Amino acid sequence: MLDVEQRWELIDKIAKRTIKFGKYRHTLQDAIAEITVKPLTGIPIAIAVLYGFWAFFVAFARFSTDGFLVKLFDMHWLPWLQEVFPAGKESWLYYIFVGDPLAENCFEAFGMLTSGLFVVIGVVLPAIVAFYLVLIVLEDSGYLPRLAVLIDTVLHKIGLHGYAIVPSILSLGCNVPACTACRILETKKQRFIMRTILAIFIPCGAQLGIMLKVIPETVGWVILYLLAGYFILGFILSRIVPGESPELLLDIPSYQRPTFSNVGRKLWVRTSSFFTTAIPFVLLGVIIINVLHLTGVIDWLATGLGPLLSGWFGVPKETVGALIVAFLRKDLAVAQLSAIEMTKYQMVTSVVLVSIYFPCIATFVMLLKEGGVKGFLGSLAALVATVFLYGGLLHLIWILLGVA
Amino acid sequence: MRILLMGHPNVGKSAVFNRLTGARVTESNYPGTTVDYTKGRVRIEGDSFEIIDVPGAFSLEPKDKAEEVAVKMLEENKEAVAICVIDASKMERGLYLALQVIEKGYPVVIALNMWDVAQDKNIEIDVKELEDILTVPVVPVTAISGEGIRELALRIKEASLVKIEKIIEKAGN
Amino acid sequence: MKNKFASVYFSVFGLIVLGLGIAELIIGIAGKSFTWSILEISGGLLLWKGIILFFAGFFYLSSVKNLSEIHQLAKNVMASVMLWTIAGMQIFAIITESIPGGEEGWINTWEGFLSAYSPPYIPALILLPFSLVTVYYVYAREK
Repeated sequence: MLDVEQRWELIDKIAKRTIKFGKYRHTLQDAIAEITVKPLTGIPIAIAVLYGFWAFFVAFARFSTDGFLVKLFDMHWLPWLQEVFPAGKESWLYYIFVGDPLAENCFEAFGMLTSGLFVVIGVVLPAIVAFYLVLIVLEDSGYLPRLAVLIDTVLHKIGLHGYAIVPSILSLGCNVPACTACRILETKKQRFIMRTILAIFIPCGAQLGIMLKVIPETVGWVILYLLAGYFILGFILSRIVPGESPELLLDIPSYQRPTFSNVGRKLWVRTSSFFTTAIPFVLLGVIIINVLHLTGVIDWLATGLGPLLSGWFGVPKETVGALIVAFLRKDLAVAQLSAIEMTKYQMVTSVVLVSIYFPCIATFVMLLKEGGVKGFLGSLAALVATVFLYGGLLHLIWILLGVA
Repeated sequence: MRILLMGHPNVGKSAVFNRLTGARVTESNYPGTTVDYTKGRVRIEGDSFEIIDVPGAFSLEPKDKAEEVAVKMLEENKEAVAICVIDASKMERGLYLALQVIEKGYPVVIALNMWDVAQDKNIEIDVKELEDILTVPVVPVTAISGEGIRELALRIKEASLVKIEKIIEKAGN
Repeated sequence: MKNKFASVYFSVFGLIVLGLGIAELIIGIAGKSFTWSILEISGGLLLWKGIILFFAGFFYLSSVKNLSEIHQLAKNVMASVMLWTIAGMQIFAIITESIPGGEEGWINTWEGFLSAYSPPYIPALILLPFSLVTVYYVYAREK
């Protein structure tokens, strides 16, 4: 053991050999990197970034969907198809593929080749492209990992950590790749919580696109309500699910300019892989739901579940059809809701129900694949409980506000 | 294996602790004192370790309750690895504690925290040289932004026992 | 001399940005809209725009003391970046709205196209040219 003096003497020697002054100069880039992670300055900046994200998404979706694709589908594709479709207007083939012969737009026709194609190409494609474009730019520039560190503390409360922001934001595009992205989390518990809350509460890009179309004025509130649910359920699950929630140790790269070729390549890979999984499901979904309609199954279910829907959730019993479609594609379900007559508040409840109710079948498969049978059943249990409590809560809010 | 996070008060020790641990951090009271400490878990390459945020101490010659607890904790965990968090812009002061811990016979990793602040003050530390002299891993860290935290965690396994005489010898040349 | 001028300039500018941010917040909460000359405070996401402008103004003001110091300058630059985010997205929205035709055809008429670009404008767009001083200042400082 050294005495105090000897120790300081040693430190002096070490310091002389290792510490130098006045060589390094802070650059503007370093200073900017610093203020983007300090909470006081970082949070306002994060708000601006997320605002830009959202504003770009909305403008892009409006431009392509409302500006061009709606016209293409409603004024050219639909009339042409209604004219040339070989089977008669009364036949079941016509019903399945073209839908309502009197429909004037593809949104409400509900045939596989009308609504199905319109949703995939007219609504989802632009949303997904816009979404991934911004996400990739944020990722490549180095902002995303910093955002993760910034909100680390908040996400700790729900048993996750900052990087859970990646599957969460990704999920706003599509839940399917988001489920895969949950693998970056460290433990089974974290992955389970993440998969469950994102499958239940985060609306995908397709849904967002349709929400903007169906309930443009209230979409902000709906998202806020869903976001609150995301934290509440996460908080509960992190308390009751056994296991550990360790930190993910991240590499924080320095800021850099994203390259064109990299962004382009990633955008292509993600968009195309989304489409190969999504298109078959949407089209199949429309077929199945139309068959169920034709065979009377939906009417039967609507009568059976009607009291539950109108009593507990306060929405019209016709909503059951949309809820069944929701199992296949949520985007389609929200679209279908717009055809049912109801009040603004019932519409909000229905949209929320559709969002938190069963994830689309593709996500369903992913939950099973990533979580195994046990994890899958756990997610399912959380889901059923959530739908009843959270959907009912919304009805209660309307009653308390006196608008139900 | 346990990891003890040691360092002066106000060197960003808790920030390092928060970056290393996830949710489920427990705060408890050291028996018989008013001193609180936090405990969490850190997962490094698939292995899970317990990590204790030891109350801030200037040296191992206790002058207040917190330092007493720090010394006791060190003594209770003979098998632990210590991460010594040092304010990079005031390295000498932090080294004092780190050397004491090394002398007591603990494997040590040194985290030069607030690296960004040191850079602002135009202080440059030759990390390689420092590692060479101390023969323990030395990692520059900016806990607030998370920079360096991953490397710090990955290098914990490199910590080994060092004889103080060896450090004196190396520093002498 | 240059630093002094920049400090005064950004003090005034920061106050204006802050004020317009507060105005947007108030009008957004009240759910109203407001038009005066070429300035228009209305539209969606008004609260968010207000919050961002508010903080941008705050950043400007906190940066003016000793502006040439790198950390102060970084705050100034980020304030401008926040402003540019809103303005840039607004410009993007205007462009994307100006191109497609309404009920009529695929592409907008020439008159319709031009009218999309005519005033009134949102605050961030009017503030945009004045915020470019930041860019000049950063370049001038490096020399």
